[in-house]
Amino acid sequence: MTCDLTLRDVRSVARIVNLAHRFNCRITHVQAAVGELETSARFAFEGPPVALTRLRAQIDRIIAYESVA
Amino acid sequence: MTGAQAVVAALEREGVDTIFGYPGGAIMPLYDALFEHPVRHVLVRHEAAAAFAASGYARTSGRVGVCCATSGPGATNLVTGLLDAMMDSVPVVAITGQVRCELMGTDGFQEADVCAITQPVTKRNMLVARANDIAETIAAAFALARDGRPGPVLVDIPNDVLKAALTDVTEPRVQAPFARGGAGPRVSDAAVRDAVARIRCARRPVAIVGGGVRAGSVDLYRMFTAMLGLPHAATINALGAAAPGDPSYLGMLGMHGLKAANKAVQRADLILALGMRFDDRVTGKPDRFAREATVIHADIDATEFNKIISADVALHGDLRDTLRALIDELARGHVPRFDDWAAETRLLGGALPSDRVDGGVLSATDVLDRVFAALPGDAIVTTDVGQHQMWAAQRARPANPRKYATSAGLGAMGFGFPAAIGAQFAHPSVPVFAVVGDGGFQMCLPELATLRRYDVPVKIVLIDNQNLGMVRQWQELFFSQRYSATNLADNPDFVAIARAYGIEAFALESPDGADDVIARFVASHGPALLHCACHPTENVWPMIPAGMTVDDLMEARA
Repeated sequence: MTCDLTLRDVRSVARIVNLAHRFNCRITHVQAAVGELETSARFAFEGPPVALTRLRAQIDRIIAYESVA
Repeated sequence: MTGAQAVVAALEREGVDTIFGYPGGAIMPLYDALFEHPVRHVLVRHEAAAAFAASGYARTSGRVGVCCATSGPGATNLVTGLLDAMMDSVPVVAITGQVRCELMGTDGFQEADVCAITQPVTKRNMLVARANDIAETIAAAFALARDGRPGPVLVDIPNDVLKAALTDVTEPRVQAPFARGGAGPRVSDAAVRDAVARIRCARRPVAIVGGGVRAGSVDLYRMFTAMLGLPHAATINALGAAAPGDPSYLGMLGMHGLKAANKAVQRADLILALGMRFDDRVTGKPDRFAREATVIHADIDATEFNKIISADVALHGDLRDTLRALIDELARGHVPRFDDWAAETRLLGGALPSDRVDGGVLSATDVLDRVFAALPGDAIVTTDVGQHQMWAAQRARPANPRKYATSAGLGAMGFGFPAAIGAQFAHPSVPVFAVVGDGGFQMCLPELATLRRYDVPVKIVLIDNQNLGMVRQWQELFFSQRYSATNLADNPDFVAIARAYGIEAFALESPDGADDVIARFVASHGPALLHCACHPTENVWPMIPAGMTVDDLMEARA
């Protein structure tokens, strides 16, 4: 599973890495470019389909919670 | 205006009237700003109690609960309470002091990377680096805690930022979608039509309501179930959602839920899961849960869909809007009635099984039956975690879900008593009862001092079975009766302890005259403890062992 994300809080990169570890997914790629207001990040994960689905849902929630100023 | 004064002003703007906390070095400027300020600070005796009290305040009022602590150990002591609020979707804002900016990262005295530590246990946390940012950050924290799926947010403020003078005093601007009144997810019309079509085709539907109903949906939930004559069950976080006396209400479901509720769910051909998340204590083994049922799942958090149980229809939105949409769509056509099926489900249950012993020994279930019968109708009940929590949940009939607070998802011992303190501050004129066990009560005994200091009239019902009873029960049933570290036969004299703190205490040691003692306890003025010396080996029945189904339900020792 590959995720191209725009993050408002660069700390979310670490949070996503930790979540992937917790969900027993293997992180095969992490790349992040930090801008003035946003961070562009690309992740690639491998793991059981159920775990990947849960991980993607959690990532979406992190992004939603980030949208607060 | 200093940063600390800006914090207090921001709290006032949010309508905060009470903060639960404990002072320390890094947060001293905030305590100075609170000194003789109308925003009331309640001094607890351990920061964990501050977080639980804020949760009790929020759970029973619907308002955001606020707690504060100093840096390092003060902040880390909040962590369990924050996770509890995260698991049960409780809006809490925690404000923590942090060491001065120049010391951060130096292993300074009482330094902890609180933002890193609390990232998994909060919706979000913020470190404030400039005093000018305080107002906007706190406004955002409250908006995020309250809106969407509620939860905890932490704001960490370095000591020098609290002391600094603001150079820009402007009204905060919080950006959509979480700004107050901002739009959340709107349930899809097509999904509502699909759900209603499936309801009309169902023969054995059952609704399961969860904690999502607490956020202002109780009236519509009652209207919806009554409209259909729908049998329905509640998770522990939704006790009180059913209308009093509703014959279609089957009670709590799950591991220690009522037999009728669990059996009806297992026989259902349609499950309406409303604001609940299919916790493992509810489903048991997921692939054997309600195998014949189509599932309609309504939740404000899309993360919950297909997490444990696959949804055939996902209704993503605020539960209130979803219920309104379902009711309106039903009303446009045929409204089915499920009275016959509801009557059938009522026959699936029977009396609650129990281990009560005769011969003058006090039984915990007997005590709780008597206590709940004696409670005023408007009482708020909090519970701690363990056997008493399950016995209480099986028996309690709160008037609405805000009348009942328990640490459901996290199961955090030490929650019940401080949560009752928080509830009492939110509702000064309502009787508040904390039902606790001897294990959990000893995790927060010093809060008796909080009761005394503020003369908080919380009534504590202490079910003392001289054991960590739930663990003991599992050791008896599943660990060959090897009772490792669960015996508390050397418990202290709780009545003497309460009295040492200046709290009135009642001792209940036998069924004889129990009702009279309970009546005097309930009618007492001010804080009070009812110590119930109960039989040590009474178990909670029924029980569906972990990872099993209702087919494996146990009603007594083998």
